[in-house]
Amino acid sequence: MLTVDNLSIAYRALSGDVLALKNASFSVADGEIMGLAGESGSGKSTLGRALIKLDNRMRHVSGTVSLDGETLPIDDDRAMIPYRFKRVSIVPQYAMSALNPTRRIGRMISELLTSRGMDFDKLRPELERRLLLVDLPVEVLTRYPIELSGGQKQRVVTVISTLLNPSLLIADEITSALDVSTQKAVARSLVEFRDRGFIKSAIVITHDLSILAQMADSILVMHGGRLVERGSVKAIVDAPMHPYTKHLIGSLPEVGVRYADRKLAGVSGLNAALEAMSSPDGDRDRPLREISPGHWVAAWGQA
Amino acid sequence: MTVSGKDEPPPRPLAPATPAVAALPAAVAPVRRRNEALYYALRNRKLVIGFTIVLVFLLIAIIGPSFSRHEPLAYDGPPGIGPSADYWLGTTMFGQDIYSQFVSGLRASFLVGLFGGGLAAIVGMFIGFIAGYRGGIVDEILSMLTNIVLVIPTFAVLLVVAAYLSVRGIGSEAVFIGFTSWPWAARAIRSQTFSLTSRDFVDMARLSGRSTLQIIFGEIAPNMSSYLLLTFILLFGGAVLTAATLDFIGLGPTNGISLGLMMNYSVMNAALQLGMWWWFIPPGIAIAAIVGALYVMNVGLDEVFNPKLREA
Repeated sequence: MLTVDNLSIAYRALSGDVLALKNASFSVADGEIMGLAGESGSGKSTLGRALIKLDNRMRHVSGTVSLDGETLPIDDDRAMIPYRFKRVSIVPQYAMSALNPTRRIGRMISELLTSRGMDFDKLRPELERRLLLVDLPVEVLTRYPIELSGGQKQRVVTVISTLLNPSLLIADEITSALDVSTQKAVARSLVEFRDRGFIKSAIVITHDLSILAQMADSILVMHGGRLVERGSVKAIVDAPMHPYTKHLIGSLPEVGVRYADRKLAGVSGLNAALEAMSSPDGDRDRPLREISPGHWVAAWGQA
Repeated sequence: MTVSGKDEPPPRPLAPATPAVAALPAAVAPVRRRNEALYYALRNRKLVIGFTIVLVFLLIAIIGPSFSRHEPLAYDGPPGIGPSADYWLGTTMFGQDIYSQFVSGLRASFLVGLFGGGLAAIVGMFIGFIAGYRGGIVDEILSMLTNIVLVIPTFAVLLVVAAYLSVRGIGSEAVFIGFTSWPWAARAIRSQTFSLTSRDFVDMARLSGRSTLQIIFGEIAPNMSSYLLLTFILLFGGAVLTAATLDFIGLGPTNGISLGLMMNYSVMNAALQLGMWWWFIPPGIAIAAIVGALYVMNVGLDEVFNPKLREA
């Protein structure tokens, strides 16, 4: 169970700190795969990174993160080391570049495990079992990354990231660089890993709502560094409340429908959504409110 | 809170039906990839020619001195005679054997190149790796240092330093050259490191708590090994050339002989005007050939390592 309370993260910039994540509070239940959706720059990757490692430019402003009842020392890089991969793990944004091109995969995994203080030989049978589970032959361990396809690399990385059975897995745009059918295989493998208990819960960060609709249990929508709506997949897709969520759902492409044939929530739709969100006092910082069980929406407009 | 499996089949076949093995190349693949560089290296004319020239001069420098029948600096021959059976490359105006001087000088040039270029490469890599990997304030400081050394008129400083030292040897010359010629290498390595640092595999290594040194030498350096080799070769050639220039203007080793020093003596004693071509041609050709061959080799290696530059 992940609980994020009032978390704010800023980026250091020459002109001062820029708040990229503002007062985020939410929780992810055990066994839940939560999708994190939003446009570029909405703060979704920032939120994902903040849960595992703040990079040099990021600063923890306020708030706490706790995992299984234990508070994560997210602002202390060294103190976080024992948690990474064992408790909270990440599948990086570009799996294509997540494997060192000059290392055979087996050797790379063994190095990574050794620096985490694990014994590679002890974990090897489990590693091989999981590779087979995602339809990769054990021989990939003796291969160089260049010899694998994009989907195969993605699966290898997913297996590495989840090898130590982390409580929480952050999957950052894991399907974005893949074609549609490979996307589905990767998404399925994540669900399967959850079902088999390799991971307790996951946060899947993507701008692609259709992939979330296939694999996630719930969706959290972000805009401009704020959480705007959180609910089950069904609630978000079928009955979005917030103007921005409505805009996002309205922008989904439908196979067989041409832009000319439908009213598209394009730029004008976005402007309308933004206008509806703004309140007279210019204060858009509204917390999420539960409007029906399991469905939270940030207040907007004059409300 | 599991919502999957509504219209989905039960949790299983998660990958394409075709066996993944089919997508993997045959088992010989890694071996073939190793030999790929060698394959292109042997077929690259620039590399082969450049390497052969350097190798020939290197062999002369290594085994040449054991064939010399005279001390390089001993005045024991007839003065100013041309190449003959006894004095293969003739003698200087003072009766010194030019062959002996040439092979010892060649040895000195290679040593300066190796140690001067090597030192510059080590300093450049150290500063480049740290600045590129650490970034931030560390990068600012190291880049400032690099730029300062880069804009200092290095050669003028070398002149001053060399002129003040009463006893100069090959070693001190190599050290001067090493500590003044690293900046461009540092800058080049820094920018390469910078771009590699943002790759996800470096991030993975960092997340897993690998140390900075492990990351630099395990994850970053192997991915730019060809680049590092090229840097060293260029620094090697540069060091040979700088040493020859220093020697030529009379600031070379006071207790030895080098190619530049031979040129210096020949010019001071008007070898050109006296028609004693055997005095200055061998060292001149050797310096030009070695440095030229190193640069040609560099271009060839670039083509071998970079598939985009391969001709065929």
